[in-house]
Amino acid sequence: MATLSQFVTLVSSDDFSFIVLRSAACLSGVIRRMLDPACIIFSHASLLYSVLTLTDGFVEARTNTCHFENISGMVLEKVCEYMYYNEKHRDGKDVPDMDIPPELCLELLMASDYLDSACPSLLHMALLTAA
Amino acid sequence: MSGRRNGNRIRGPQSALTDFLAANNISAAQIRDDHERRQREARNNGEGPSIAAGAAATPATGEDGADEDVVEIDEEEEERVREDSKKRKRKGEVEALEKIKKAKAGKGKGKEEKGKSKGKGKTKGKKGKKGDPDDDDDGDSDDDFDPDDLSRDMYKKSRPLPGQFEHCEICSKRFTVTPYNIEGPDGGLVCTPCGKELKKDVKAEKKSAAKQPQGRKRRKLESDRLDGLVNRGAKSLQQMCIETVAKHHDDVEELGDMPAPLVERLSQIFSKQRVLKPKTLPLFLRPDLQSVVLHDAAYLEADDYKQIFAVVPNVQKLVLGNTCQMKDEAMEYMLERCSKLKHVQLYASNLVSTEMWEKFFTVMGGRLESLALKWLDNALEDESVEVMARECRNIRRLKFKLCRRLGERAVAAIATLPKLQHLSLQLSRDVSNESLISLIEQRGPKLLTLSLEKFLDADDSLLAAIHSHCRSLQKLRVSENDTITDAAFTSLFTAWPNASLVFADFNATRDIDNNNSDGPLEDPIGLGSAGFTALMAHSGQALKHLDISSCRHIDLVALSEAFCSSDAVYPALEYINVSFCSRVDTEVVEGIFKACPALKKLVAFGCFDVGAVRVPGSVVLIGVPRAREGIEQFGGYFDGDGVGIQGIEIGGMAVEVGA
Repeated sequence: MATLSQFVTLVSSDDFSFIVLRSAACLSGVIRRMLDPACIIFSHASLLYSVLTLTDGFVEARTNTCHFENISGMVLEKVCEYMYYNEKHRDGKDVPDMDIPPELCLELLMASDYLDSACPSLLHMALLTAA
Repeated sequence: MSGRRNGNRIRGPQSALTDFLAANNISAAQIRDDHERRQREARNNGEGPSIAAGAAATPATGEDGADEDVVEIDEEEEERVREDSKKRKRKGEVEALEKIKKAKAGKGKGKEEKGKSKGKGKTKGKKGKKGDPDDDDDGDSDDDFDPDDLSRDMYKKSRPLPGQFEHCEICSKRFTVTPYNIEGPDGGLVCTPCGKELKKDVKAEKKSAAKQPQGRKRRKLESDRLDGLVNRGAKSLQQMCIETVAKHHDDVEELGDMPAPLVERLSQIFSKQRVLKPKTLPLFLRPDLQSVVLHDAAYLEADDYKQIFAVVPNVQKLVLGNTCQMKDEAMEYMLERCSKLKHVQLYASNLVSTEMWEKFFTVMGGRLESLALKWLDNALEDESVEVMARECRNIRRLKFKLCRRLGERAVAAIATLPKLQHLSLQLSRDVSNESLISLIEQRGPKLLTLSLEKFLDADDSLLAAIHSHCRSLQKLRVSENDTITDAAFTSLFTAWPNASLVFADFNATRDIDNNNSDGPLEDPIGLGSAGFTALMAHSGQALKHLDISSCRHIDLVALSEAFCSSDAVYPALEYINVSFCSRVDTEVVEGIFKACPALKKLVAFGCFDVGAVRVPGSVVLIGVPRAREGIEQFGGYFDGDGVGIQGIEIGGMAVEVGA
């Protein structure tokens, strides 16, 4: 099988496309699974734009493109910015926080929850805080 | 007659330039005279650096002229001339400064001095450039006029004298100039009210840009560390968004369609930052929610509670902390409205009367499945608990902590609950051993969680009862006790058919005797070496949470055997608390890191023998008091062969008071 492309495309609900590095995009579990050609399909999602095939995996994996019908362009742009920010500071210490405009943060929060971005998971955080 | 005639001298029209100069006390004739004088002197001093004829040359051409001439002359003369011109300049400067001081009288800034100094031609034009009086352009300072500057100055209005009228730059009102008027953004003066506004703005800016008090960043780091937020890498996007929302909590109007766990997380943050107020409360109330979790309801008033129940009638799980203002009416309304309520957790609801509690139990009846009440001073009585035991037969989870009026009869009543699985008690009144044992005998076999805190007089028979009756315990806590002996702990964990514990907490089980801090050596009290060894042998494999803080009778041998021996592996351990076990030293800590691959947090307050430790990157180490002035070592993870690289360590922390 051919080697995976280095870049993938993320498309928002209002048809903005963002071409990002695969390694950055796979920070999100959802995206990683959508793009993984070896992934077995247990598709449930009314929200995922994917077509069940019996052979190869999601159509996203073949075209290296992910459509997000529930995430708008502005939010998706911030998400991409975060992915690169995370990758850049992966091992850093005392990294300065990325700037998040307050108008966007609620939608961004929901998008990030959907995309399951980076560890720790929400439950883990809740437990830690309650501890 | 001649005098009259002289006095009648007619003056012709004067140019704008003359007006300007006159207004600033600069005399054109004087300038001309000085200039000519200087030229004469220069010529008399030989072919010194030539002074280009009077005209205002740009600094560039001035320089060029000087350079050419410098080339022509031999060094000595040049030096001499330079020195002379320097002297001249300095003398001239002094004169100029004096003039300036004399003429100053309330006039502002560099414009006058610029004008004057240009008039005198000594220093290089701009006042602000304290630079080098000994400029390379030897003596050509007269010619270093920047024509642009000069013309700009000419057209700029000079500051009017105090007493004159001026128009405000911002509001265009006419006002009287005083020495105290400040300048506006474009250079003109502003009237007093506008001046005040400007000053306020500047002050606000300065305040926001001011440096934070010194220790703040360090405290934030510590606080994050205690929360378990590790310091490496970037924060997660969710975390950053949540922080932003909490920061702008005033502006958030609605949370929209957020999934329930996120809403709960947000309510936690809001509670932590104490912004959960009547205004922000509606954010967390949605008709479709099944649980309402508000950890800090201190600001909510009686009507707000009713609002909660009105908006969310289908709530099944209710968690309210700091419910100081919840009254009987609110509870009445809750009983009326929320028919699906199953899990109730109310902390500090002290305004609810005992009768109301009894009514609560009666109305809820079999619906109630879990109940957690803390900090009840005056209300809940033993009788109420008896009512509860009678009416609410489906209770699975029960927690009574710091309820001051409960005592022995309550324990007896609790013992009769048939479905009890999780029990947690911390009572202030004395409870006899017999009641506790009878409780365990009746409920022991089904109990999954047992937590008995601060039963100071409970003795070995309690543990014996646990050993004989409890078969399904996962979480066991017996803490703050100074009667139970080590032997009892050992026999508890030896040959106990119960499966391995997941959560073990025996903090503060030790002898309290100020005269004998090591306790009786033959028969140690509290969790000691033998007990600890037995505990790890029994539960080591499944244990996730271990708390042996203040068990100071555990000696080094037992700790080393448990953690430092080569085959010691505890695959599930995530949290260990060994605070105030004074025998813990560096080797033990290093052993812990090696033996517990899943470890996330190690709390070690008051372990003074722990020195410079290498902390692996995934672990948060809290409380090591080695005062290295906050030296942090950054670093990585365990290598494949288990060699740790220096991780994050903070020293010099405040030691927690305890034990």
